[in-house]
Amino acid sequence: MRGFSALLFAAFGCTLAIAEPQWNASYAEKTEALSLKGDVTHGEAAFVICQGCHRVGALGRADGSYPRLAGQHTSVLIKQLTDVRSGRRSNAKMLPFADHSALSVQDIADIAAFLQQLPVPADQGQGSGGDLALGFKLYAKDCVTCHGERGEGKADQFYPRLSGQHYRYLLRENRLIRDGGRRNANPEMADAIRHYSDEDLAAVADYISRLPLTPAR
Amino acid sequence: MDGNSVDPATPKLAGMDQEYLMRQLKAFAAGKRRDETMTGIIAGIDPNDFSRLAAYYGKMKPTPGKINDAQLAAKGKMLYDDGNTDSGVPACAGCHQPDGQGNARFPRVAGQHQAYVLKQLADYKSGRRATDPLMTTVGKRLTVDEAKALAEYMAGL
Repeated sequence: MRGFSALLFAAFGCTLAIAEPQWNASYAEKTEALSLKGDVTHGEAAFVICQGCHRVGALGRADGSYPRLAGQHTSVLIKQLTDVRSGRRSNAKMLPFADHSALSVQDIADIAAFLQQLPVPADQGQGSGGDLALGFKLYAKDCVTCHGERGEGKADQFYPRLSGQHYRYLLRENRLIRDGGRRNANPEMADAIRHYSDEDLAAVADYISRLPLTPAR
Repeated sequence: MDGNSVDPATPKLAGMDQEYLMRQLKAFAAGKRRDETMTGIIAGIDPNDFSRLAAYYGKMKPTPGKINDAQLAAKGKMLYDDGNTDSGVPACAGCHQPDGQGNARFPRVAGQHQAYVLKQLADYKSGRRATDPLMTTVGKRLTVDEAKALAEYMAGL
């Protein structure tokens, strides 16, 4: 009986410890950035150092080298930016541009506010259109619960908006998440796509790249 | 005296943003930026005159530079406008503006002497100039050939 209680306690204690998922753990800078009120006008000025790569209007590049950021949820943008600069997400190219010497915490909140309200034109890079039926099937099975029917994501859960994103970037990140290279990814997602073939990943990214565009909520 | 140096190793200052010029003058005075010529000269200037100097050069009309190798400049334009996605060099246009006019935070590069631009990029790469950590990164990521192409293109802006 005592052993069972200890086991229960251990299980309960363990539940407490993982109540906050590790992929989205709180840390001072992220919490602070999320709590600050973002200023769109200042965010536009601060974003200048980002647009050499993410392009004017934060539209990214169809070749997948840099993602589209326009219209993304502020929560997602703040999490990803602070994760990159704190080493929770590996991105050697971006790291110096996200460094404390380049961006204050307020800058991060401001940039996120600026990006979230940017228009998202329907000119994102798309896949070949070769197997959209498979893409739809996989999306409905594994993606829709979190990312939504229209790929709108969930701001309060830190699930990114996917609609309007470039196909090649979606594919690049899907691969990284499947193969364990994106360290700050939700393990539930890594599990869901663990057995995906490259063709499966391509099909679902293709489907996503063709979702209708709605404003991020 | 019009801020348009004819010596390729000495930068044109005409038309640069006053705030940017002020920041560089202060950096030289504080020893944060060093140059064989300027470090000596700055010691003889009263810091109270810095803002007048910056205003003076900022108001001068810049003269155009000269492209010597159009093919090289064309390579430079691609890099200036689009960056290098493989090495993570951002488009220069992102900060320095598509026309190279710059602003208070980022210097004007349009029409600048090739030799001066190359020296600055090399100094950022080596760490000799460290006035902007972002440019230190850019300097390290640029190849020598890329730097030459960029300097050639900027001269023609």
